[in-house]
Formats: sequence, C-alpha cells, structure tokens
Amino acid sequence: MATIELDQIEKVYPNGFHAVHGIDLEVKEGELMVLVGPSGCGKTTVLRMIAGLEDISAGQLRIGDRVVNELGPKERDIAMVFQNYALYPHMTVGENIGFALKLRRLPKEEIERKVQDAARILGLTQWLDRKPGQLSGGQRQRVAMGRAIVREPSVFLMDEPLSNLDAKLRVQMRAEVSHIQRQVGVATVYVTHDQIEAMTMGDRVAVMRSGYLQQCDNPQVLYDAPDNVFVAAFIGSPAMNLFEAGVSTGNGTPSLALGSQTVPLPDRVLDTHRGLRAYDGKQIIVGIRPEHLPAADGDAEAPLVGEIDLIEALGNELQVHFTIDAKRVLAEGPSEEDELSSSGAGVARVGPHVPARVGERMTFDLKVDGLHFFDADTGLAIRH
Amino acid sequence: MAEVSAHPSTGVPTATPPVIVGRSDVYRRRMARLGWMFTAPALFFIGAVTLFPIGFAVLLSFENVNVTGAGFQLNGLTTANYSLVLGNSEWHYALVFTIGFTVVTVLVELILGTMIALLLERLTKARGMMMAILLIPWSLVTVISAQLWYYIYNPTYGVLDSILSFLGLGNPVILGSNASAIMAMMAADIWKTTPFVAIIVLAGLVMLSTDIYEAAEVDGATGWETFWKITFPLLRPTIGLAVLFRVLQAFGLFDLPYVLTQGGPGYATTSLAILAEKAMFNDNQFGPGVAVATTTALLVVLGCFAFLKVFRAQVGEEV
Ligand SMILES: Nc1ncnc2c1ncn2[C@@H]1O[C@H](COP(=O)(O)OP(=O)(O)O)[C@@H](O)[C@H]1O
Ligand SMILES: [Mg+2]
Repeated sequence: MATIELDQIEKVYPNGFHAVHGIDLEVKEGELMVLVGPSGCGKTTVLRMIAGLEDISAGQLRIGDRVVNELGPKERDIAMVFQNYALYPHMTVGENIGFALKLRRLPKEEIERKVQDAARILGLTQWLDRKPGQLSGGQRQRVAMGRAIVREPSVFLMDEPLSNLDAKLRVQMRAEVSHIQRQVGVATVYVTHDQIEAMTMGDRVAVMRSGYLQQCDNPQVLYDAPDNVFVAAFIGSPAMNLFEAGVSTGNGTPSLALGSQTVPLPDRVLDTHRGLRAYDGKQIIVGIRPEHLPAADGDAEAPLVGEIDLIEALGNELQVHFTIDAKRVLAEGPSEEDELSSSGAGVARVGPHVPARVGERMTFDLKVDGLHFFDADTGLAIRH
Repeated sequence: MAEVSAHPSTGVPTATPPVIVGRSDVYRRRMARLGWMFTAPALFFIGAVTLFPIGFAVLLSFENVNVTGAGFQLNGLTTANYSLVLGNSEWHYALVFTIGFTVVTVLVELILGTMIALLLERLTKARGMMMAILLIPWSLVTVISAQLWYYIYNPTYGVLDSILSFLGLGNPVILGSNASAIMAMMAADIWKTTPFVAIIVLAGLVMLSTDIYEAAEVDGATGWETFWKITFPLLRPTIGLAVLFRVLQAFGLFDLPYVLTQGGPGYATTSLAILAEKAMFNDNQFGPGVAVATTTALLVVLGCFAFLKVFRAQVGEEV
C-alpha cells in the first residue's frame, strides 16, 4: 500500500513532441483516481511514466516514500492492466495469473493458493486451464485483472481496461472493477476517455487536455463546479450548453443577454458569483446544464424560448434539442457522439409527458441558480 | 428457400432474404469448371516436368538398367538396386554425413539466425538496410557462392590460406583433410543460409505484440526470462517452419561439395545427392543411383511428417 505523487511531471518524446506538461497529482492510499480526457491528451503517457515503461522527462514521481524516476517497472512494485489485456497467449489462465509469482520463485503451493484465491474473487475458477484464446472478452479482462491483483502490488495502473468490451459488459465490469479495487484497497490510477466511466468509478477524477491537467476533484465537484469551459463541456451527458452572453449588472435589473432574450440575474446569483460584477457590459460564456431547462409551466422566474429541432424520448424524460439566437460556444469534448446540434442549438431535459413538437417554440424554465459563468477569453470559471 | 423466421428476442416474424440454393450451386459449379480450365495448362506442365520424372525415377530404381549408346535399356523389374544400396558402406557413410551436416548446420543457423533477428528487431531505423545487406549471401546462387568459398579455401591463392600463413599457422590444405573440409563446408552453408533463418524469425518476432513484453517487464521478468518464457515459446511455430525449410534443403546437399570437393577428400564430404550423382554419371550405375535418390526423397518426406507431427502436438493448438 502506498501513495502515488506526481510532482511537475513532464514528457517530451524523442521526436520532440511535448506530450505532458507539468502534471501535479496525488493518489492517496486505496484511492481510485481516474485520469480522463479526450483521445491523445496524454493519459496513456502519464500512466506509462508511472509504470516505468516510459522515461520521465522532468519532475519527480514518488511511490510510497521512494522517488522512483530512475527505477525500472519491476522495482516499482506496480501492476498494470493493459488496454488489450496483453495476456500471454501460450499460457493457461492459471499460468498467466501466476507468472509474476513464478518469476519471484515463490513455492509452488503458495502460487497455487494465490492463483486460486484470485480466480475465486474474479469468478475464473473453472477457466484456469484454458488458454486466453478460448475466452470471451469479459473473461480475458478478468484474467488481466487477476494477473494484477495476485501480485499484491502497492499500485494498480489500468489503461482503458474496459474499452474493448461491448456496451453492456462494460457497464457490468465497471462495477466489478471498482468493487475489486475497493476490496484490494490499493492506490489505483485508472485511465479512460469515457467521462461516464470516470464519474461512476472515480473516487476522484483528473481531467486532462492536450497534456495539461485541467482539474482534479471528486466527481460531484467536477460536475457542480467545473473550473473551466473544457471541464464543463467534458463532464456530463448530455453535455452542458454553452452560449455567449452579455452581462449587465450596472443600472436596472442585473441580467444576461442570451441572443435577443434577456435572463434576469437575481441578487443571490450575483452573491455566489461576485466576480460577475466585473464583467458589466462585457461578453462572457454562460453554461446551462440540460436539467436546468425544464419546461415552463406559467410563472417561470427566467423563461427561455427556443425552437425545437429534435426530440429524443428516453421514456423517463424527453431530451429536447432547441435553437436560440445566442452564439453557441463549442468546447472540444467527448461529445462526438451526442453532438447533433448546429450553431445556436442546445439540449434540455424535460418531463416525459410535456407536449412538444418539432418545429414549435417551447418555453423553458431556466434555473438561474444552476448557471455557470466563464470568462470568454480564458475560459476560466467566474466565481467569487 | 425463402423463409420467414421469428426474431429470437421479440418473436416478431422477419423475412430473411431468399437464398436460392439451386442457382448458387450451378454458379459454383460453373466457377469451379472455369477454375480448372484456367489451371489446367499449369497443372499439365507441372505434371510433365515433375510428376513424370518422379514416377520414372521410381520405376527406374526398380529396374535392371543398362545404359547403351541408344539410351536406357530396361531389363525387367528387380529389387537388386535397393539391396545393393542399403548394404553399401558408401551409402551408410553418405547417410550419416548428410544427417550430421544437416543437424549441425541447421542448429547453428537457428541459434545465429535467432540472435541476429533479435538484434535486428531492436534496430528500428537501419533495419531495412541491414536486412538487405544480410540477404546478399542468401540471394546468391549456391554454385556461385560455393565458387567464392573455393577462392577462400584454395591452398595456393586462397584468402584464408594467406591469412593463416600470415598468422604463422602454416599452410594447411583446408579442403584436403576430412575434418577441416567438413567444417569448411559447414561454414559456407551457415554463411549462406543464416540470413534466411534470421529473416523468418524476424518476421515472427515482429508479429508478437509489444505489450506482451511490457506486461512481462511489469511482471518482473528479466530479459533472459522474457526470452525463454515469452518470446521463444511464441516463436516456436516460426522456428519450426524455418527448421522444416532448412532440413528439406540441407538434406539435398549437393552444390557445395560438388564445387568445393567433389565429395572428397576420399568420401569425406560425399552427401547422398553427390553419391547418387556419382553413381549415375561417373559409374553409369543408373539403377543404384536412382535408388539412392529415391530413398533420400523417401527419408526426407518421412522425416518431415514425423517433424510436423511432433511439432503440431507441441504448438499446433490454438495459441
Ligand atoms: N512514442 C511517441 N512518440 C511521439 N509522440 C507520441 C508517442 N506516444 C504518444 N505520442 C503522442 O503523445 C500524445 C499523447 O498520447 P497518449 O498518451 O497515448 O494519449 P491518450 O492515451 O490520452 O490517448 C499524442 O498526441 C500522441 O500522438
Ligand atoms: Mg491511451
């Protein structure tokens, strides 16, 4: 059991590509830290540096109370689960799991016992004599986990361990992996590009973008108080709606101009976001979570009218895609999949039985307390 | 056979596109006929230049052959050729020599070739060029490379000879004594075919995924352990293939002794193929000569079958 500390870690690849910039991160004992970000942002690079499979260009890496920068993988006491499992194809499941123990020259009976224990935890007992080629994806995944836990390492590293599984199995294995991690109680760095995986599994989540750490906190904080536009857009599904808006806090009622519509900003909002006053007369980015746009039923504090483009009925709710005339802000995000909308479009989550028809105008009851405000230039959150 | 089947989960009937068996059968048969038509000339040619001679050779080996000015004179079936060969001490020696030569050269080539392949795999930049250079010996026709080695081993103007005498090691006639002639011949063979083994093994190495090595590294394996416990077992099918190719080839050893020693000194480098050639073309003993060739071929085929059998049992199962 140990902690992992990254102190200003940098990575410059031999070809000159600067993949990781000054990452500070601390993973506590027993904690499951998820590293999330779009593909190519440097997650694997960070993980491989922790593993010792990639040199650290600058900064200090500590595992437990040792500085391990110069140590090879086997001296770091880590176990790693690879994206495509990297099982040894010529060994049986039992041999795969026991390989590390055999290399340590543990007595046969002890290896046998530990392999059996791991197999029991993972439900692999009946497959121990099979070769990986004869297993399903989910089973292989479990073998990879088994190989990691049997060694009782001080650190677990997992690189997108579920990304090769089909959607249903992925959801199931998500729970299973966090359960096992909790059982073993070892500091874990878990890499994924899937923000839902990050949110559901992480004790804390570190969001990365282009080699920089954006924000690291527990999932609820990331969702409720993203530090910048990128995190705001990346975390949450459907993604947060981001529009350009004009702030007016001077004379008259404080308000936001969202295209041609005006949204009143009550004092309690200005009190929790004191920084907003400095933006009087300027453009900012306003973020609205889809759940903060229910259908208005008459006396809305801040009605917002949009034209309906598309309705997705999920049974428990409708996801209404609408257009307003405010300029939409596109933050690169994971959103390829849920990005249907054109400029000026947003998504609202309304009750399942709200009458809504494509092409009609609909009034939403904008919940101003849930608004997020960001500086238009820096993308940083405007708060105090 | 258009049919309506129920969707397994919903029970709702869904029409599957009709498959008309009869028509596709006709189509397949027509394609097959076309295929035969296209391959017939090649098959005929192959039959004429390989199957016929093989059949004729087997026949000849069972014949009492007389060679006259007018050609072969076949004087009836006999097994005398075989009994002559099998009881002959020259044949015994040639068999032992050929097997020994094959085992030693293939083993050395395998070890060297694997080492070279492991080295080449590590090179990422110059790999292509190194491979091209390495393949030069392999790409030479054996008779020519044998001639080159003859220049090296020549006792009067040979390169090795002058090096040895420069080093004060005297003027040994390399191809003149049994042991040194055999070793010289093995060296020439190893020089020529090691690159071939290296390339095959390299191809196998490149196919192994790198993250298995990384997994082994994380698991705590040293380089040595990684090779013996991961790389080598995974390379076994590839190495098996290389061995098969090489054994087939080495067993037909002919060009090197033909150019370098004509099977000498004495019988020291007389391989089975040389023996057959000598019997037929030096001594006009066609029946026994062909019997040597036929038994050799039979031995090779049986050897390969046995090898494949063992080999399958070990690694043929799905990896
Ligand atoms: N060996 C390498 N040499 C140069 N650039 C690399 C190398 N490996 C990865 N990169 C680059 O570093 C960036 C981060 O890669 P990676 O850590 O694999 O991203 P992620 O795992 O977040 O998808 C990518 O732009 C990738 O192209
Ligand atoms: Mg990656």
